[in-house]
Amino acid sequence: MQFNLDEDRALLKQSTRELLESESPLTDARAIMEDSSEGYDKALYANLAELGYMGLAVPEEEGGSGVGAIGLVAVLEELGRAAFPGPFLDMAMAAEVLRGVKEPEGAEWLRRLVAGEALVLIANSESLSGDEPIEPNTHFEDGRVTGSKHFVPFGAQADAMLVSTDAGLVVVPKPDAGWNADLLEALDHAQRLASIDFDASCTQLTDSGTAATLLESAHQLGALGAAALMLGLMERTLEMTLSYTMERQAFGAPIATFQVLQHRQADMFIHTESTRAAVYRAAWAADHDPDSASRLIAVAKAAAGDAGRWVAGQSIQLHGGVGYTWEYDPHIYLKRIKTLEQFYGTTRSQLEKVLQAARI
Amino acid sequence: MDLQFTPQHEKFRSEVRGWIDANLERRWTEELRDPANGENELVEVRRSWQAKLNEAGYLGMDWPEEWGGRGATVVEKAIFLEESLRADSPPIPNFLGIGLLGPALIHHGTEDQRRRFIPKMLSGEEIWCQGFSEPAAGSDLASLRCRAEPDGEDWRITGQKVWTTFGPWADWIFVLARTDMDDRHGGISFFLVPLDQEGCDVRPLLQISGESEFGEVFFDGALAKGEHLVGKIGEGWRIAMTVLSYERGASALTDPARNDVFLADLVEGLRENGTLHLPDVREKLARLFVQNEVIRANGYRTLATLASGSAPGPESSIEKLLWSEYAQKQSETALELLGPRAHLRLRSPLARTEMDWAREFLWDRAGTIYSGSSEIQRNIISKRVLNLPTS
Repeated sequence: MQFNLDEDRALLKQSTRELLESESPLTDARAIMEDSSEGYDKALYANLAELGYMGLAVPEEEGGSGVGAIGLVAVLEELGRAAFPGPFLDMAMAAEVLRGVKEPEGAEWLRRLVAGEALVLIANSESLSGDEPIEPNTHFEDGRVTGSKHFVPFGAQADAMLVSTDAGLVVVPKPDAGWNADLLEALDHAQRLASIDFDASCTQLTDSGTAATLLESAHQLGALGAAALMLGLMERTLEMTLSYTMERQAFGAPIATFQVLQHRQADMFIHTESTRAAVYRAAWAADHDPDSASRLIAVAKAAAGDAGRWVAGQSIQLHGGVGYTWEYDPHIYLKRIKTLEQFYGTTRSQLEKVLQAARI
Repeated sequence: MDLQFTPQHEKFRSEVRGWIDANLERRWTEELRDPANGENELVEVRRSWQAKLNEAGYLGMDWPEEWGGRGATVVEKAIFLEESLRADSPPIPNFLGIGLLGPALIHHGTEDQRRRFIPKMLSGEEIWCQGFSEPAAGSDLASLRCRAEPDGEDWRITGQKVWTTFGPWADWIFVLARTDMDDRHGGISFFLVPLDQEGCDVRPLLQISGESEFGEVFFDGALAKGEHLVGKIGEGWRIAMTVLSYERGASALTDPARNDVFLADLVEGLRENGTLHLPDVREKLARLFVQNEVIRANGYRTLATLASGSAPGPESSIEKLLWSEYAQKQSETALELLGPRAHLRLRSPLARTEMDWAREFLWDRAGTIYSGSSEIQRNIISKRVLNLPTS
């Protein structure tokens, strides 16, 4: 029995933290989220790709870093802490799909994704109401894809899209015409959600059955990854709140001396630490216990969403008036957590998965 | 990371499972709903189960062999407890003796004390209760006033203890009593006192569940022999605090296992009611499943910490808060979702026979109070983990 990370992954986590502290401090990250057109730091992503970050969960023999779900989760926890902008998790999900594609085209796109040469993303969602039945209306015929996909994070920036269609998965390299991305104005502007209308030439990668399997596996990775990001976001949220309440004076004392604020922060700690246990247990299952992975990932995602939303809300509350200002950082974390809670598998769908796994 | 049990652990688990299958005559819920079983009879059921466990070497498993243990690891102990709960076996009556006093004697007692008390503690011949809380000293335990005065070689105890779990059936009590009225922590000493004597009066207290599992104990010059002082004079507080920490950890997996039993019953009841398909019911039910798995994940982490030889830190307060608050949520949800029938006590006409959810609902109110209230646990986390300042 060992809950701690092994030496390699602990080192990976630590070096990721150091890298982000120097290359993506929150002021820089905020400038990118708020002002840049891409919504992420392309040079830094290229740098991360060189260091092997784009293929973390891809096995070494397939050209990745092979640190498994546990390693990926450890890194995502750090990215969450830093509120790191960009499609990092979305690329990991696309890589998960590409790994399962038998066509040589799949391997080539995976290579380019891992090398940081191409931003490859999945475009799957069609419904405006949340989780999908995986029976896309998007149509494939004679080497062309037509239809619309919604809520694709960083969709406008993609170099290629893995699009689910009625005939299976297709890959659409960014064409000059025939691909129109509309930027959506969402709760969390940093996610750069886009709707995309396709009328473009493309290459078929899989049939429908394989597409469903690969998307399920990618969504599972996405749910686990989102839970890990929320864990990191919660951690940092709590730290910010602790330092603020220790500095802020009211009634002649730091407000952290008031028991009601102490207990509230104790509860934030409990939510964070219990989420950590659930997330790492799920990551372990993803690597070592495939029978329970799907259930435990659903547990982690649902738990992280409920806990994260509450922690982020309390952070704003305990910051008081300044917590409601754009200038202070808690809202960055609130928005990201709320977005991750809803996307990458809604809480409702995760709860249903948990029951179904217990044959209920 | 490695959350797998080793092949030896799995082997041990199947041994335990086999032993319980062969030896457990009736599940605890069946004993509870048997009209022939009053509170006293139920204690005897528990006592005889304890005796069986003792003969098979399943009590004090992690103690040295010399004292009836088998030098088991904390993981093995956790596996045993988990299997016991999964099988719904009766809780042993001497859980305070074995859980708290046993380790205290092994760590702080004299050879004579161990020889005198441990065997009968394990066999269930002598049931122990804990004399810590007082009417004016609950969460603020160190403000206790019960005092011990020297009488030659011996001591005379005067004062009152309250909420004394198992007091009404206990033969002995371990008592924190004041040997110095002025030194708040250093003035407390740890005594072993027989309850069957002049000067000891145990009165059952009626609890909100209608049971009298705890009571109050009045001492009026009760005799504690000199050789029954544990540790030195003034070490009582320190011993009590370390003793309380032994309890944490090995039970890391028992609460989720117990909850599995409850959740299975809840699902069964919802099937009977034909409401299991309703979305609001499913959502509430699923959130219980999720939270119970979160608790189990925390349990694995605690167990891993213990297995690596580290003591669980104040983080064990997380565990206490999680299970006690979850239990309330669970029984509240059951009473809500199962409908009016779930409000019926086990032996009522029309009652479901499997589970007394009304009793659980009441009983679960205690979990957030005893053994360090939720408020105290949050104090511990704020002060010792988050290092928040005192005003």
